[in-house]
Amino acid sequence: MEDKKKKYDMNRPEARALMDEIVHGTFMKEGTMVAFPTCFPGASIPIAPDESRITALDATPEGVVYGGTSGHRAHVFVGMFHGVTGVVFDLKTIEGATQSAAVCCGQKRFVACVNGPKGGGRILACALQPLPFDLVQEWGFERPAFEDWGEAVAGEPIVHAVADHANDLAVGVTPRHLFVADLAASKVEVAGEVPGAGRLALASRGGIVGQDGAGHLWRFDPKKRTLQRRAFALPAGQWDRTPLTWSRVKHQGLLYTADGAGRLFSFDEDKGFSASLGQTMLAPVGPMAVTLDGRVFGFCGPDLAKMFGYDPASGRVTNLGVAVSVIERRRYGYVFGDAVPGRDGELYFGEDDNLGHLFIYFPKIRPLT
Amino acid sequence: MPWPMDRREFLKISAGLVPAAVGLAQAAEAGNSAGKYQAPTTPSLYKSTWYEFTKHPDSDTCWSLSVGPDGRIYAAACAETVPGGTVKVVRYNEARDELDYLFDLGDKVDDPGDSGRATQCKIHYSFAPSMHDGVLYMATHLSGPPIDQPAYSPWLSWHDEKRCFRGSALLAFDTKTDEVKWWDTLIPKEGCRCLLHDEDRGLLYALSYPRDHFIIYDLKKRTRRDIGRIGSVNSQALFLDRKHRVWTTSDYGHLVRYTPESDRLEMSPFTLPHNPEFQTGFHSVFYDAAPAPDGESVFAGTWIANPYLMRIWPNDGEWPRVEDLGPSTQKRDPTIPKDTFADHCGGLTFAGDGQLYYVASRWRDPVDNPMDASHKEREGVVWRLNPKTYEREEVARLEHPKNFAQYVSRGAVDHNGDLFFAHVGSHPSGIFKVSMPPERKRPNAHLPIRMWG
Repeated sequence: MEDKKKKYDMNRPEARALMDEIVHGTFMKEGTMVAFPTCFPGASIPIAPDESRITALDATPEGVVYGGTSGHRAHVFVGMFHGVTGVVFDLKTIEGATQSAAVCCGQKRFVACVNGPKGGGRILACALQPLPFDLVQEWGFERPAFEDWGEAVAGEPIVHAVADHANDLAVGVTPRHLFVADLAASKVEVAGEVPGAGRLALASRGGIVGQDGAGHLWRFDPKKRTLQRRAFALPAGQWDRTPLTWSRVKHQGLLYTADGAGRLFSFDEDKGFSASLGQTMLAPVGPMAVTLDGRVFGFCGPDLAKMFGYDPASGRVTNLGVAVSVIERRRYGYVFGDAVPGRDGELYFGEDDNLGHLFIYFPKIRPLT
Repeated sequence: MPWPMDRREFLKISAGLVPAAVGLAQAAEAGNSAGKYQAPTTPSLYKSTWYEFTKHPDSDTCWSLSVGPDGRIYAAACAETVPGGTVKVVRYNEARDELDYLFDLGDKVDDPGDSGRATQCKIHYSFAPSMHDGVLYMATHLSGPPIDQPAYSPWLSWHDEKRCFRGSALLAFDTKTDEVKWWDTLIPKEGCRCLLHDEDRGLLYALSYPRDHFIIYDLKKRTRRDIGRIGSVNSQALFLDRKHRVWTTSDYGHLVRYTPESDRLEMSPFTLPHNPEFQTGFHSVFYDAAPAPDGESVFAGTWIANPYLMRIWPNDGEWPRVEDLGPSTQKRDPTIPKDTFADHCGGLTFAGDGQLYYVASRWRDPVDNPMDASHKEREGVVWRLNPKTYEREEVARLEHPKNFAQYVSRGAVDHNGDLFFAHVGSHPSGIFKVSMPPERKRPNAHLPIRMWG
């Protein structure tokens, strides 16, 4: 039998402080989140609400963000936020596609990997967008031409794909195959058989890794085009319940991942997996990204995710609360589909929800000690 | 004297956390033991009478007031600032000219106030009638704190099994037998901000809070579908057109339409009327929407300070024709972000005389509205709007014995043709009856009935 609870006395001296903590301590306890709509605010309208669930992101070294949406129809967009820009431009509505599985940036063009209710996952390619003139003064936008490279693997949906270290290739998986898309040659080839599940990652020595059953990672060498099954053993944990997610330290290639219980691990091709680094307050762990000083930020928990931060210097995992933007757009963020680091340490989170926005997170600058 | 600037001032006032409404004379002696109070000097043909929820002293707001399928007035005595508070459903008893207390909702759905979770504390614009069987549907909303907490945040406690709101409870109340026929959980973990009944199709439509999802409940199968999110600011009203499409608004003041045939939520590219001086459309969501007797249009007001009135013709064009009827409240200093408790319009309802009635706030302002001493600091003004000429006439002021009466959430007309308004801003809370002049009444004035809360 439950204990009878005593009614809270609202005249208690700490009541006001506790109320403030309950209400305000719930949201963005550190850093600043800015929700940017999928449009040029004031000059165009956003992607239709039920076509704008952002599920795929990538960025060029210059910090231009490319993304793909899911929903009634899939779209591909570009986001520019540096210099005299400040826009998300809807590059294309992809007829017959309802899910963006991945977007991969190459040196001169990018590919979008999309799925639909019929057939296998398709790859579409397009030139990288030039910078516009001046989005304060005057501008002109045209929808670019896309090449449709067709199905990556006949009849199989694309699960995920990533660009290789040289940004020449996109390496992806379907539920049964590994494929390679050559961005310069406009060619897609099957490179092996793997049980494609979860997300892939570019590892520290240039290998592409993905989950290989409940206990291992496979490794693909893009240069040699060789596939090594069961190349790395996963550490002890829950690896069979949720799709694998990754974030990458840009300049080192160190990867972070989490198991189904929210335990964080790092992975390096030379050193393998670390011991558990900490545990997020909720599970599963969704998209996460690493800022320039090595701190990891991501979301965890179903339905109404909360942001966590992991600081490798202190080894602490912190609850940063529910995402909310009060700049540009006033909006809560509940579900996120992908994340990518930006040029200057800002992080982009794609909102996997109706009327999805790009949530741009500016981590707290650490004070001098 | 400046008013304190803080969040949700009405909660503080109604819960008695700060001294009640500034500058008011204590007029409690004018009331009677049943909590009824009629102003002695109402300068109007329309007599205003206050009915306090005396038998639910914890009540601090009244968000829902509707006419039932039986033509009688139902209201929700909500208790949202009291730890462990629950809502009680009341009905105006015209024979005894007082309120009947029907039931405590927490008891009916096996979710008592001392559960330790957020409570079944209120019904928020979520009465919806069913004419063929005399049922009044009602769905609960959240925010009332667990009994041992001073406040509740649905975001904070979403993943907390012990604290999280169990979910919006949907009840089917039979107005013929005064029995709850059945209940179900309409939206797990979330509250229901507003409810609509499409009786022809046996569907209830709801908006969830806090996630602002659009929910469809099939009454025959008793199943729920989540169509997806709209935004962050809940719209406070849904309405139905003759094509069975359901309409509401987005965060930035755009119409949102659900079409059953396509099963899609779509957003109009156009912004609804708003103040061009200091507003952008942000937060110009519907506060209230009343169907015009012609069945072809709806009158609506927005949930933002300086709320605009508009008439929407949902059956005209790809996106509806919207007539801007201008602001419902007075001019004011635009450099201050005025709160929606003081600057407010609600209670939209058509009466037996075919005119639209609503209550808009009015307040003393040294520059824009220096009212004389016969006026209170804040007032709830009952307006009568001619739907043909759009002429407006002030017909009454709501008279509360102890508090200001500027905030009315909902209004309705009963089968006798009298007006009723739900009030927010006193503790206990209550409702107003505004007796219509006999020549402006008619039998069954509540028909055609409004199918949403």
